[in-house]
Amino acid sequence: MHFNFREKLNSRKFLVTVEVSPPKGTRFSAPVEDVSQLKGVADALNVTDNQCSIMHMSSLAFSKLLLDQGHEPVMQLTCRDRNRIGLQSDLLGAYALGIRNICLMTGDYPTCGDHPGSKPVYDLDSVQLIELVRKLDSGIDLAGKKLDGGTSFCAGAVSGIDPENTMQLIKLEKKVRCGAEFIQTQAVYDVGMFEEFMEAVNHLEVPIIAGLIPLKSLVMAEYMNKNISGIHVPEETMLRMKDAVSPIEEGLSIASETIKELIKLSRGIHIMPIGSHKNTPKLLSMAGISEK
Amino acid sequence: MIITSAKPFEEILSLLKDEDDIFVVGCNVCAAKLKTGGEPEVLEMCRRLEESGKHVVGWVLPTAACSIRSFESLAEKNEKIKDARCILVMGCGSGVSAVSTVVDLPIYGSNNTLSLGGTSGGELLSNQCVMCGDCTINEYGGLCPKSQCPKALLNGPCGGAVDGMCEVNREKDCVWDLIYERLKKIDRLDLLYVIHAPKEHGFK
Repeated sequence: MHFNFREKLNSRKFLVTVEVSPPKGTRFSAPVEDVSQLKGVADALNVTDNQCSIMHMSSLAFSKLLLDQGHEPVMQLTCRDRNRIGLQSDLLGAYALGIRNICLMTGDYPTCGDHPGSKPVYDLDSVQLIELVRKLDSGIDLAGKKLDGGTSFCAGAVSGIDPENTMQLIKLEKKVRCGAEFIQTQAVYDVGMFEEFMEAVNHLEVPIIAGLIPLKSLVMAEYMNKNISGIHVPEETMLRMKDAVSPIEEGLSIASETIKELIKLSRGIHIMPIGSHKNTPKLLSMAGISEK
Repeated sequence: MIITSAKPFEEILSLLKDEDDIFVVGCNVCAAKLKTGGEPEVLEMCRRLEESGKHVVGWVLPTAACSIRSFESLAEKNEKIKDARCILVMGCGSGVSAVSTVVDLPIYGSNNTLSLGGTSGGELLSNQCVMCGDCTINEYGGLCPKSQCPKALLNGPCGGAVDGMCEVNREKDCVWDLIYERLKKIDRLDLLYVIHAPKEHGFK
């Protein structure tokens, strides 16, 4: 098998990553089958880590299942559920099982999900977690102990895209200084806003992969505008969704037009489809992105 | 100041269901300020317990429930404590613990202990400090993200705040916005670029 996400990051190739979700249970054949539609379409698959604080199979286990099917996973890892011992332990395990790409983030608070009373950990934050991975890469753990075999992760992180949010931009800068090799962003709906964001972080030498969530309805667009940090669905897009005969088709058209703009601005796109992947290959073909 | 809130009276009654001859210990410091254990609240508690068929043998309001000298010092203030078969402390968890070290009777607390806080201009400030034992508040202009950010993030905000309001509680300002404003005011925005190491929890 050829693992080449890091090589692709360092090339000029326009990248496509797609978010996939582990099952909520032990039956994995249906989700693995669903993900199989992405073969030859995506460069790598981000495997979510109990996304929205909703308990699922571990990202490590599902990443390994996808690896066995010939996919290239990007294992997501959050600070919410593990202390520094658990994080290091899972990172070593993931590396030993062949997982080479990771995406590190803080993680939604437990009250957002289906176990709202669980104790949140946040022993490290996302900046410290990136630093930790770079320590493991150098062959030592966070306590300074030598490892019997270190790691060599291709490690990335996430960012919002609001150019006005100075604190977010400073945090992104810290992530890059600590060794983030790629950044996947919050969903882009307002290309103008994303362009300003890219200008604001122009001094950071890191590939930025723009997030994308195809709209499915006007209600979804309204919800995102109101509740998701840094997401701005422009009025014109809202009107298109409102007038659409088929909102899902319209959402795909809007997303494909956005991708065409993003090709000029970012190193790639990160598609978060929410649910099945049946429309992802179609979306990419609408955007004129050829098969991998 | 320790921030407490009163447990619902029904919960207190349920705690005391197998108890009688109750002696009530208030706290004239934090709990009095927060109206969860000062004299009016102690008197109200005694009245409601009596109304519910319980016998209250007496009460006392020490300066601070968390700094009790001895059983005798309590008995000096109200010797009825000698007739008690259980104690209800209207203070914080620390007050309950301190009283339990000098009284050999079943002991109950009437409050929930929420956080370490204070007041400013009459406004209640909760979650000002988590007493982590590794204080770095000076690096944030005097606002502690460890206590005021639900995720205790040390290097900047999470991606969850919307319009400056916290992901976990949309009614509460994101402390990172407050830290930013504060550092801007004192001309120390440079502090935002410092990469902070993980806390040393094990040494508390």
